Amino acid sequence: MKILFIEDDTDMATYVVKGLREHGHVVDHAPNGRDGLYLAAGETYDVLIVDRMLPELDGIGIVKTVRGAGVQTPVLFLTALDGVDDRVAGLNAGGDDYLVKPFAFDELHARLKALARRPGTSQAETSLRVGDLELDLLKRTVRRGGSRIDLLPQELKLLEYLMRHADEVVTRTMILENVWDFHFDPRTTVVETHVSRLRKKVDATFDHPLIHTVRGSGYSIHASG
Amino acid sequence: MHPARYLRTTNFRLTALYAALFGVSSLIVFGVVYWMVADAFDKQKTLLVEAELSVLEQEFRVGREFELTREINQRLASGKHPYSYYLLQDVDGQKLAGNLPAMTPFDGWRRVPAPYPAVAEIGGDPTEQTAHTGLIRGKFLADGIFVVAGISSYQSDESKEAIRSAFFWAVGVVLALAVGGGLILSGSFLHRIEEINRTANAINNGDLSERIRTSGTNDEMDRLASNLNAMLDQIQMLMESLQQVSSNIAHDLRKPLGRLRQNLEATRQSRMSIEDYETVINTAISDADGILATFSSLLRIAQIEAGMRRSSFRPIDLSQIFQNVAEAYVPVAEDAGKKINVDIAPGLMIDGDRELLAQLLANLADNALTHTPPGTAIRIGLIHSRMGPVGTVSDNGPGIPAQERDQIFGRFYRLETSRTTPGNGLGLALVKAVADLHGASISVIDNCPGIIFEIRFKTSD
Repeated sequence: MKILFIEDDTDMATYVVKGLREHGHVVDHAPNGRDGLYLAAGETYDVLIVDRMLPELDGIGIVKTVRGAGVQTPVLFLTALDGVDDRVAGLNAGGDDYLVKPFAFDELHARLKALARRPGTSQAETSLRVGDLELDLLKRTVRRGGSRIDLLPQELKLLEYLMRHADEVVTRTMILENVWDFHFDPRTTVVETHVSRLRKKVDATFDHPLIHTVRGSGYSIHASG
Repeated sequence: MHPARYLRTTNFRLTALYAALFGVSSLIVFGVVYWMVADAFDKQKTLLVEAELSVLEQEFRVGREFELTREINQRLASGKHPYSYYLLQDVDGQKLAGNLPAMTPFDGWRRVPAPYPAVAEIGGDPTEQTAHTGLIRGKFLADGIFVVAGISSYQSDESKEAIRSAFFWAVGVVLALAVGGGLILSGSFLHRIEEINRTANAINNGDLSERIRTSGTNDEMDRLASNLNAMLDQIQMLMESLQQVSSNIAHDLRKPLGRLRQNLEATRQSRMSIEDYETVINTAISDADGILATFSSLLRIAQIEAGMRRSSFRPIDLSQIFQNVAEAYVPVAEDAGKKINVDIAPGLMIDGDRELLAQLLANLADNALTHTPPGTAIRIGLIHSRMGPVGTVSDNGPGIPAQERDQIFGRFYRLETSRTTPGNGLGLALVKAVADLHGASISVIDNCPGIIFEIRFKTSD
């Protein structure tokens, strides 16, 4: 992936840029809003990471300008710890996702991959398929190896989210936000419980599991072990 | 207090303005009255002189100049006509009778300096030149006999003078009262303002317990003072809770930070395998995450309390939020050997923030799950009431002692019995903050056994 990272905190920038390059991405770093806007407007990127608070031109301003110029590159906002209201403002300005600082690198990476892959054609899909598991989006039914699996509505939503990001890692917070619209961390094991129930129904009676736990990061659904 | 300050008060300025308005309008009224009185006096004098003259003519017709001379002399001698002038001249211009000097005969009205102020008769000095005038009417009688009748302006001048002086006295007294009253009013006003200033100074100097004294009359100054005092109570309470919170934060964060540091230090001193180091680092990261989560919760509560999010309120389906959260927690409860019963009336709408309301309910559900033993039955309910939707989260667990129920919504407050369970003591503080933000009241009711959290929402208008 080719990534533009607009961030004025040099310690954090160095750390993130190094991590992303180690994962094989091409990263440009802009230390202020003006340089960031210049790069975002001139070059083509797969995804932009934009800090909300920047010298010279703030993140919202950059994204509004870029969107105004017709650039549809996915944008991930980074917000400060106390920015409870920042998420809505960021999304309204044309951002696609947000992450509160400080964050785990794996969280950032998982979200970047999910963003960069965002297909523009998902509306046309009528079913999702991972290995022998098939989810019919119109009838809201799930089959594996020809036999039907009955899921509760929230289990179905969780499976759909996992399958839409097949072969990628989705983190606990991504699941909370996208399946339940929870933008906070519950003290109890909501995600773990639902994943475990889904597993029982989807994987338990089959030799090779599809839903995998990625240690320290989250979950992933994919066919090949 | 400097006298000039009195003159600058609003009270005094208002009084001065009213006094000036009163003065001007009185002056106009006085002018009109004076003019009308003067006019009436003139008319009256004219009539009097005409009447006198017709009497004199009558006398002349009866007994010629001899009778008239006798009549005039008798009138002057009688003292009954102290302000009247008479003159009788024969055809040669010789004065026959009267108290006016001889003059060239004329026919008609004339105003003359009053030569003999009839005041002589009432004890004045007859030679004294006065400002009074005489209104006289001359008339030719038969055979060149010339007669004059007139009246001094003394009486009307005196009356006018009396009106003028009465007016100036009255206005003077009223103005003096106005100025005096203004000074007294502004004095008492300034005194009470000083009282407020004194209190404000004391508070500025650090004594937050100082309050403004009220006069007990319940007037607008008293109401202002009570309002300011109520505000000061609020500020003092906030300051105290802020102090409490700060020391709680320091205390509650020192523990995990200390543990984090201790673990890292112990690791440095020991020789371990790479895997063990990894374990220590993972623990350290999760400790740090815990501390960050506490910070994040604190900041979130502070922001919610500041009320900024109210601007993002929309009409939302509260039933749907309750349903969504309840469904998320039902399997969690089952895995923990507890049961959640869900009873939610559909389609209840309020104005609010979806994200925060979901967190409110999730925190109550978390709370019920964390602080109850296996086998507990939990109930999440939402019903319609006349005042608005009423949400409840109840359990039949160990409950909360009655004397602690008011305190559980405070930051970092943890029941003695739940010290060992996970949590940062901020969950219910956030619940309270979100409820307050939505104008909802939250109460803790004994479920015998267990506890009921009841939230009464307001219907969207």
